[in-house]
Amino acid sequence: MSHAPQADFSSKNTQLGPASFAARNAAVLGVIAILAGVYLGKSGAFNTDTRTFWKMYLVAFLFGLTICLGGLFFVIIQFLTRAGWSVAVRRPAEALASNLKWIWLLFMPILWMFFDGTAGMLFPWADLATMEANDPSMAHLVAKKAAYLNANFFIIRAVAYFAIWALLAWFFTSNSTKQDQDGAMHRTLSMQKWSGPAAILFALSISFAAVDWVMSLSPAWFSTMFGVYFFCGCVTGGYASLALITVRLKRHGLLQGIVSGEHLQDLGKLLFAFGMVFWAYIGFSQYMLIWYANLPEETGWFLTRQVGGWLPVTLILLFGHFVLPFVAMISRWPKRYGVSLAVGAAWMLCMHWIDVYWLVMPEIPNDIGTFATYDDLVATYGTQANGLDNPLNYILTVGVALLVFAGTAAYLRGRSLVPTRDPRLHESLSFENA
Amino acid sequence: MSTLSAHSSLDRDPDDNTVEIPGTRAPLVLHLETFAEVTSTVCRVAEARRAPMAWYVAFALSLSLLGFLGFCVTYLIFTGVGVWGLNNPVMWAFDITNFVFWVGIGHAGTLISAILFLFRQKWRTGINRFAEAMTIFAVICAGLFPGVHVGRVWFAYWLFPIPNQMDMWPQFRSPLLWDVFAVSTYFTVSLVFWYVGMVPDLATLRDRAKGKIQQIAYGLFALGWRGSNRHWHRYERAYLILAALSTPLVLSVHSVVSFDFATSQLPGWHTTIFPPYFVAGAIFSGFAMVLTLAVPARELFGLKDLITLRHLDNMNKVILATGCMVGYAYSMEFFVAWYSGAPFEKFAFVNRAFGQYWWAYWIMVSCNVITPQLFWFKSIRTSIPLMFILSIIVNVGMWFERFVIIVTSLANDFLPSSWDQFTPTWVDIGTMFGAFGLFFTLFLLFCRFLPMIAMAEVKAVMPAADPHHKQSHDHGRAH
Repeated sequence: MSHAPQADFSSKNTQLGPASFAARNAAVLGVIAILAGVYLGKSGAFNTDTRTFWKMYLVAFLFGLTICLGGLFFVIIQFLTRAGWSVAVRRPAEALASNLKWIWLLFMPILWMFFDGTAGMLFPWADLATMEANDPSMAHLVAKKAAYLNANFFIIRAVAYFAIWALLAWFFTSNSTKQDQDGAMHRTLSMQKWSGPAAILFALSISFAAVDWVMSLSPAWFSTMFGVYFFCGCVTGGYASLALITVRLKRHGLLQGIVSGEHLQDLGKLLFAFGMVFWAYIGFSQYMLIWYANLPEETGWFLTRQVGGWLPVTLILLFGHFVLPFVAMISRWPKRYGVSLAVGAAWMLCMHWIDVYWLVMPEIPNDIGTFATYDDLVATYGTQANGLDNPLNYILTVGVALLVFAGTAAYLRGRSLVPTRDPRLHESLSFENA
Repeated sequence: MSTLSAHSSLDRDPDDNTVEIPGTRAPLVLHLETFAEVTSTVCRVAEARRAPMAWYVAFALSLSLLGFLGFCVTYLIFTGVGVWGLNNPVMWAFDITNFVFWVGIGHAGTLISAILFLFRQKWRTGINRFAEAMTIFAVICAGLFPGVHVGRVWFAYWLFPIPNQMDMWPQFRSPLLWDVFAVSTYFTVSLVFWYVGMVPDLATLRDRAKGKIQQIAYGLFALGWRGSNRHWHRYERAYLILAALSTPLVLSVHSVVSFDFATSQLPGWHTTIFPPYFVAGAIFSGFAMVLTLAVPARELFGLKDLITLRHLDNMNKVILATGCMVGYAYSMEFFVAWYSGAPFEKFAFVNRAFGQYWWAYWIMVSCNVITPQLFWFKSIRTSIPLMFILSIIVNVGMWFERFVIIVTSLANDFLPSSWDQFTPTWVDIGTMFGAFGLFFTLFLLFCRFLPMIAMAEVKAVMPAADPHHKQSHDHGRAH
């Protein structure tokens, strides 16, 4: 039925050459950047207090983590839906996912805080005594959540999340890689079979990770939608990175005649649908419902994000994460050409970082419930800075990004860039968008 | 690769297309080799002089239920909304439950025809036509309830912002008004989508029609379709654009319906996950209803080669997936109700599970979350009787979901002194079943007189549509 063009699967077209100097040393540079960031942060450089520093570290970590989770989700969903089109671009997604096998290392400093008793620095619920002193009513409320928000259970859950992600990443990447050698059909069948349970584990683990690592930073606040919002971040970061890597490999002169404009267009569509539209839908629904009901226990979280220096950040997200890219990417051609898709994807990756920053950094003031009017609040907190000018943010983020890049490149270097013996490869080579 | 697929195509049982060996795609049409066979299989139903006996029995039943609906609604209009079991605080009960239930049912059609189209799911061609028809009839049923719930039905047009000399406008800030827009837009676009997709098939019926009346009727609605290249080209473009326009509507309608509840401050209603949760639930119930209709329809009208076991298997998977999403939402709501630390939230959810309506809650959980898990087993996904029973269980469960959300939150709100219990009257129950009469009457008429399956689209996914079809038969399967 299919009439695939004879594609070139020789190593010249499907293998990354020897690493360049920069690529070889990306991991080293990444570690240096992170260590430098930690040193500078701990020593209070750029007027950074310890809590702000740890939050910056968390932003950098979550930025890297969500990209890898997005890659994992892409792989799972391809097997769940038995997709044929995506085989040619699946390897880079696997490469992103493969980082989940080691990314837990970057979380160790945060876990360590629970052992040396400084966790309250980042997670206020971990130090109820201090909270009691600052804000007794809040402490009273948060104490009710102790069955969930306590150090031991937090650590156990974190270990479980990382174990689930590493296991899923290992299962899909190793089966896919081994299929390059043995071409065994049963590997595809078993990945299909386990993709259902994998999707469920994925959904539950990222939802509760979002509660633990982001929502509980403001321990009084809650939103049932939060896990879904976090998921939108994962797919934005993951799909944008996937598009970037694919375009980059093509520009390298690789995957010629294998990855075509059809694949780029589909990657662009996914980024458009999930990274822009679905993100906006979830973000709008969450905001609108909280704004409309106007319950003080919920509105503080958003109020903080719309006064002072945070208002421009919120507006950047509204326009930069949705409105502008929506207009720019809706047509067919920007998704089909490498340059335009790469620009769009790089833009979305930046927006995703700002989104994570916007989720993690703002501090809900203790006295936010005491203002009689909105104007009073603005008068007091209207000068709050957003801290985006602190270079530490970028040192840490670049460090994590370099490590993720190094892990991804190492994975891609170790095997063919295409699952050459995937039974559905011919479908991926011959499909066309309508 | 080529040896594998050649091997698998030899091994395949020609009657079972639920097995798919990676690398080859299972056929979506069984036994029918040529386009002409597809045309005659589908048109046969509309062209037969008499429908099967079962059709007349079902039609008589539906028509009597519809009559009863007419009676209940007339009685309601002439007497007042008091004939329902509503009270203060339970001012919404069966009426809005039915409304949300039917809007939800109406989601599968557009999902299948728009979103699955964009996702290039070719199997949708076998079921999209009657799923879309079902959507339209379900939205008609849904529209009935708010219409009669307003009390003074003769003022129902006030729901729309019509310029008037009194300068009176609906409350634009109310989600109930957004509902009017969302549902009417959805109805309009679904209707246009359904009709545009049907034009080539109507032309087929026109060309085959023997009687004058049929020729004129089908001819009128076929809009002069001649099947020229230019017609097809424009048709395909229009279809793609309509699919893209319908896609956000699939999400928006039920999101707006969920806003009716979630914008309030009522515990159990005000929760941010409502929009995607309602959408997932709507797709869940919509697919269940498609299944409930497809299983008997394919038997009755001899469409088993076009709506194959593979189609049913796929729908069961969608039901399983959306059922899990609904289960996720239930759990997240429960978790956050506890996590919020808000005593009212906590009470609302504990009260749902263990309060006066505990039975409704557990019907909901067992029908929507627990029993659909049986669909993990392929033997159940491919068993016609079991999937039919399970689809009805899902329908029941989703009706109860809306009942649980609406009634439990209203009956026990913040102030215990104003609590009350809702008990349905015979008019409530009659209207609920009567709406099924309206739905099935319309659906049976559709089955009898319109092309139940999108012939033109099904033909496009058959091997015969591939220009290399003959060659690949000659040389084996060349990849």
